[in-house]
Amino acid sequence: MNIFRRLFGRKQLRGELNEEIQAHIEEKIDALVRGGMPREAAGRTARLEFGNPSLIEEDSQTVWRWSTLESFGADVRYALRAMRRNPGFTAVVILTLALGIGANVAIFSVVNAVLLQPLPYKDASRLVTIWGMNLPRGFTLDLISYQDYLDLKAQNHVFESMGASTDNMYTLTGAGEPAALIGYEFTPDYWETLGVPAYIGRTFSPDENENSKAHVAVLNYKLWATRFGCDRSVLGRSITLDGEPYTVIGVMPPSFGYPPDVQVWTPLSADSQTLKDRSVRWLRVTARMKPDVTMEQATTEVQTIAARLRDAYPKTNKDQEAKLIRLREMIAGDVRPALIVLLCSVGFVLLIACANIANLMLSRGTARQREIAVRTTLGATRSRMVRQFLTESVVFSLVGGVLGLLLAYKGAQALVAMFPPTISNLSIPRIQSIPIDGWVIAFAVVASIGTGLLFGLAPAMQSSRMNIGETLKESGRTESSGAQGRRFRNVLTVAEVALSLMLLAAAGLMIQSFLKLVQTDEGFRGDHVLTMRLFLPSSKYPDSARRLAFVRAALERIRAVPGVESAGTVTFLPLSGWWGTRTVTQAGRAVDPSGKDPRFVWDSADPGYFVAMKIPLIRGRYFNAQDNDSNEPVTILSASAAKAVFPDDDAIGKLVNVEGLDKPHRVVGIVADIYQLGVGVHQPGAEQAVKSEVYISEEQYPTFLMCLAIRTAGEPTSVSKDVQRAIWSVDSSQAISYVESMEQLMSETVALQRASMLLLAVFAGLALLLASIGIYGVISYSTSRRTREIGIRMALGAARRDVLRLVIGEGLALTLIGLVIGLAGALALTRFLKSMLFGVAANDPQTFVVVSAVLLCVGVAACLIPAVRAMRVDPMVALRYE
Amino acid sequence: MTDAAKRDLFPGALEMMILKTLERQPEHGYAMVQQIKRTSNDLLRIEEGSLYPALQRLLKAGLVKARWGISSTNRRVRIYELTVAGRKHLEREVSRFEEMLEGITRVLALGES
Repeated sequence: MNIFRRLFGRKQLRGELNEEIQAHIEEKIDALVRGGMPREAAGRTARLEFGNPSLIEEDSQTVWRWSTLESFGADVRYALRAMRRNPGFTAVVILTLALGIGANVAIFSVVNAVLLQPLPYKDASRLVTIWGMNLPRGFTLDLISYQDYLDLKAQNHVFESMGASTDNMYTLTGAGEPAALIGYEFTPDYWETLGVPAYIGRTFSPDENENSKAHVAVLNYKLWATRFGCDRSVLGRSITLDGEPYTVIGVMPPSFGYPPDVQVWTPLSADSQTLKDRSVRWLRVTARMKPDVTMEQATTEVQTIAARLRDAYPKTNKDQEAKLIRLREMIAGDVRPALIVLLCSVGFVLLIACANIANLMLSRGTARQREIAVRTTLGATRSRMVRQFLTESVVFSLVGGVLGLLLAYKGAQALVAMFPPTISNLSIPRIQSIPIDGWVIAFAVVASIGTGLLFGLAPAMQSSRMNIGETLKESGRTESSGAQGRRFRNVLTVAEVALSLMLLAAAGLMIQSFLKLVQTDEGFRGDHVLTMRLFLPSSKYPDSARRLAFVRAALERIRAVPGVESAGTVTFLPLSGWWGTRTVTQAGRAVDPSGKDPRFVWDSADPGYFVAMKIPLIRGRYFNAQDNDSNEPVTILSASAAKAVFPDDDAIGKLVNVEGLDKPHRVVGIVADIYQLGVGVHQPGAEQAVKSEVYISEEQYPTFLMCLAIRTAGEPTSVSKDVQRAIWSVDSSQAISYVESMEQLMSETVALQRASMLLLAVFAGLALLLASIGIYGVISYSTSRRTREIGIRMALGAARRDVLRLVIGEGLALTLIGLVIGLAGALALTRFLKSMLFGVAANDPQTFVVVSAVLLCVGVAACLIPAVRAMRVDPMVALRYE
Repeated sequence: MTDAAKRDLFPGALEMMILKTLERQPEHGYAMVQQIKRTSNDLLRIEEGSLYPALQRLLKAGLVKARWGISSTNRRVRIYELTVAGRKHLEREVSRFEEMLEGITRVLALGES
């Protein structure tokens, strides 16, 4: 018999069997009648001897059956019918599931896009970045000198290829408005290491290396599209970068962005001194491990080479170590812990939802006990019943999962908006969209089925274990399934409370941390400040005089723009993500050979900067127009920098040496500390620099990079066009970039914390809601079962107050047990939040007390409705109820 | 197997008797039951209905085949027929059964010798 007959011939088979059996019985009757029996008695005898025809028919059919599959189909149909029969219950369960699964899928889709999706490089898992490390000097992540790079490259046996790079900034002219381009200088092997071919044209050839001074450029796709209209003839064309001609040799594909935002790549170049000096560490090195090399082997290898270099060049390489970080970690570095915390929290929400639904299912299981008893009597085995229950719950969770996937699709788009692509102080991969791909769908399916099995198992086991005889005898009274079921429901409720408390604690800590973050005084006033960044190309402004002339003229015209109150320049704008550090020592003191001299963020600023940013002067004075080249070099220290250099002395009037500057500088002022990198930003290797700063007078030390801070009377961005025109009236080829208000910059700085805080708060709120529903469900269920008991108590003289105490006491007990377990869990888990918290300890007692109180109140509130209902019990009615 | 044990004398006994009956000539269900009852001198009491699941099992295993025909009482009935595989299966089953029977008989004869 072929498979089609088996699948589709079932009706026919049934018909044939039926006919056959009927014929058999009739033939038998005929024979009996012929033997002299009356027809009626013959019919009875024939049927008796034949057995139960329908059972036999069924048995005969079973022979042909794919029994599990078919009973599964029957179970699914049964489940769907049950869902339709009870729409209210179904809606609650499916909605809960859709929210729970949807939230999980949404967060997972972000994790998938950010942490799991393959990077757009060949075999990206083998790509590592190599860093220097000098712990005694406080550098946990340091760049690498050219000579060290050559040695690492030549001496290792673990890497297939290795390339070096450094960042650069170019001004593109001659193609529309002048533009400041983020550039990167690559060695030719860098392209080979990443293993991505050019989209059109080519990347650097081996001889276009650091010794060649080749003027060739590779463009990123976006620059090619916006500036050159995707014109293929751009290949071979000459473009002007910093006033010098570069030949375009290639364009990279749109997916390629390493590092992100880089617009143009040029060959590595440096003067011969920089190339020779091992103490100048300026290169970012990336390498590709050989196929069978592990991370540990590679790490050991670079550490061995670093040790060799320490021995060979003690003068420059003392204490210098090396370490490896996977490229993936490097790219997703800052967002990784936040995402993992969010994924765990949203998983907790789903667990709570599971517990809730299991509770609902249990009470429904009680209501269905008669049905189960009847089915069991009719021959359903225990495993068959369990299977049916599980099928039902999985059908539920799959329907919820489909809805959840739709929710997640919407939600993921909202999540992209929460992580702005322009966060300057974090390494976050630039996500344009969050795809719902195969992995996400697979996750949704697994989550749904897992959820269904999880919340279905308990009711299934409970139902299958019940006593059929008792249930049937009890004829519909609900007082059965005894202590065991109740205990299980209590355990579920306690678990819900505990999980909710953990989430609440995490959310509470994050909210506190975020409030601290935004309330912390950055040290400057960011409102009404417009910022922009200029990069003065060395080709056009080769010396200080020309740079200063430009700055003076530009500032003068900017200050004349209506609406501008004050304007100033600084090398590195606070929160811009750009910064540099220098050591500062008392003049006349020898430089500490171990490099332990205090190191601060440095800035070259003009007098107007402090005014525009409203950085308070603590003592002394700001810079003034006389702090120019013809007068004594001066410096301003921030309060904590002054304290670090002159712990016991007044810094004003003293002379200090600033690293990299020849003459000693006289301290003329002390200003307030500001958070150069953003509040709460941990920068490896620059812990001390977070707030301490040394300012040098711009007139005495003008820099190529120049950031403008412009205080305006009204909305800062409203004058941005006028300010740009003012600058172009001085130099029409000057590129202006990052035109944004300081407040925008400030809001971006805390974007990740804000997103994490908001999401955690939403999850915790959801958890609280679910837990309160859970408590309400259990208490109202147990109260309704105890109606008779309450009636008796009241008949015996219990006051309504006592009833209230009885019911609330029950709920309170569950809540308190959950609370204690939750507190223990929270204490154990919140330390994983540590790296994300600012100004609040991971075990902050205040937060723990507040969230416990909130949960307790919610727990009591959830008991109130059943309690009031219990108080209204009329003893007469309750007793007669039987 | 517990189901089969309830239905049959021992697992496979009913199937073997069906096959043996069909070896003589093709038959329909009722006739088969009568034949088995008659030849066993009514010593074996089988529930007539249990014939049909057994027949379905044999059909599924390809040991018998069925066609619709007309019985002697002029009813439309399904007539079952042994296939080649069925014939071989029967031979094997019978010889296995005889071995088993011999073994049992010897054990039962122990006390008498």
